[in-house]
Formats: sequence, structure tokens, C-alpha cells
Amino acid sequence: MENELKQLIIDALDLEDIGIDDIDSDAALFNDGLGLDSIDALELGLAIRKKYNVKIDAEKEDVVKIFSSVSTLANYIRAQSI
Amino acid sequence: MQSMIKGSDFIVRNWGASAPGLSSVDDWKNWYATQRISPDSKPPLLPNSISKMLQRRLSLLARLVFHAAGQCLDDGEIMPVVFSSAHGEICKSLEMLKAIQAGEGLSPTAFSLSVHNAIAGLFSIAYSNSREMTVIAPGLEGIAPAFIEALGLLYENGLHEKGLRENNEVLLVFYDEPIADFYPVAPFNLNAPFPCALALKVSLAGDGLPVRLSRSSESRDDGEHPVQLLAFLRFLLGDEQSLTLGNQGRGWRWGKI
Repeated sequence: MENELKQLIIDALDLEDIGIDDIDSDAALFNDGLGLDSIDALELGLAIRKKYNVKIDAEKEDVVKIFSSVSTLANYIRAQSI
Repeated sequence: MQSMIKGSDFIVRNWGASAPGLSSVDDWKNWYATQRISPDSKPPLLPNSISKMLQRRLSLLARLVFHAAGQCLDDGEIMPVVFSSAHGEICKSLEMLKAIQAGEGLSPTAFSLSVHNAIAGLFSIAYSNSREMTVIAPGLEGIAPAFIEALGLLYENGLHEKGLRENNEVLLVFYDEPIADFYPVAPFNLNAPFPCALALKVSLAGDGLPVRLSRSSESRDDGEHPVQLLAFLRFLLGDEQSLTLGNQGRGWRWGKI
């Protein structure tokens, strides 16, 4: 699922110059890591909802933790999909 | 021309324009002579100083704005900017309306980039420009309100600096793209044949092309902003000494002095 998520990130966020091999599953997605910003977080949330039917509620969940890396995001989606 | 300037006179220090396939002054001179534009042309390349992460957010229209403005600015140069566009990113808004109609989730990125000051916001980030920025949607008045806004800024900033200094400059950026067929435009003359951005750096003193702006009461029907933008570009490229643009009895005249 990690690779699938990476491709989703690349497609949803128009990261044309980046391939899935360029994204480290454990590296930070935002700020210093991949360099994504708050608009990307919203866009990614929408893309995840469309693809996995998983809604990440910013008021109930610890979104900073969930969105911290591809691994944490994949773990969260897996847990919600069961 | 270094002499002191009156009320609605200003100096065009330099200018740049960009459309698909038209970027250099020579390209524009050729367009002026032939009125032709090649249909399969690509959007302009932007300098590497504008990060790829930011460039991915730029529409064709935003790229043209950046490219035209970039031709007027030295590296690191910042100044107040007046943006002027009849329709802004209206094509993005239409795409979102279609998504809503189809019952799809709305893209937050598309929404944030569809508002009238979206390109101005991206521009301020890309150029680290924290000066005053205004975005005008001028309607029937065409390109004139942006000049008036720029003159206001020049005089206001000139007051603080106690005089008309050469470094008191404002960047004016006009841009529009053809709007989608979905929108009925007739009987209004408000669609240009191609997307285009025109940037002018203006001041009250210094070298450049001195221009006098005045009201005109001639009864005219010159079209709205997207059409007037190209008329002003032809005025810059050609030998005509004056340009009058107006609609419904309200108009403005630009004269080379």
C-alpha cells in the first residue's frame, strides 16, 4: 500500500518531477521532508477519501501524526479500512 | 525625460508581455506586423529561482503573468504591484462548478487558486514581495482603473519619501484568457483570441516612455479589459502618439509626451 499511496500523492499533488522511488516511506511529508504545505494536506485528505473511502477528521484525529509520513498514513488507512 | 511631472503623467520605465509562443520583444514586434500567433506553442519556461513546488501550482495564465512581470524586474527587486484582470482564473471556477454538479469532492487546491487574487498571492510568495498588492476586476472601464490605482500608489509613496524619486515604482500587470464557450459573451466585446499578460513598470521620474493619462468623452465601443490589453500592447509597439479606449461614453486617453 505504501507504493500505491506514493503514486496517489504524486498524482493528486502534481509532483511531476518526482517518482515513487524518490519518496521515503518514513521521511516527513511536510515542511522539511517532501516540502508539502497545508493546501497539499487538504488535497491529500480529499484524494484519500475518494480512493479509500476513509475520512480523516481534523477535529477528532491527531492529523499531524497521521500525515507525518507515508508509513503513518498507510497504517491509519489500513486500520480504518478493516 | 527628467522634468517634473503633473497629475496624471507617468513614465513607463520598461515593459514585458507574454502569450503562448510570444515572449521576447522581437516576438511581439513580429506579432504587431503580422497579427499572427502560432497555435501549438508551449507555455513559457520560468527561471529556476521559482521553485518547482510553487511552479506546479501555476496555470498557463499564471505562468504568463510571471513571465511578463519577470521581464520588468531585476533579480530580487520588489515593489508594489497592481494586477488587473476581467475574469482572472474563471476557467478554474467553471471546472469546480462542473465537479459540484457531478457530485464530486471539490479540490481545495483548485479552490484556493480560483479566487481573483490567487495569482497575486503566488506572485508575492515566488518573489518574496511583501509590498502593497491590489487586484482589480475592472468591468466596462477596461485597463484604466489599474493605471489610476498605480498613480495613487506612486503619489502616496512619493509623499512619504518627500519627492518624486526614481526608485518609487509600481508594477502594473494586466492579464486575461479567453473564457470558456459555456459563458455567453455576446453582445459584449470581452474576449481576446489568446491568453496574454502585459506588465509595465511605471514611475513618476526617471528614464522611459512618458505618458499622459486623461479622460475622454468620445463615444466609443472599444471592448473590455481582455481586448483593451492588446490595444495597449499595440500602442506600445507602434508609432501612434495616442490611444483612446472607452465604452458607453466613459473613456480614457493615453498620450505619448
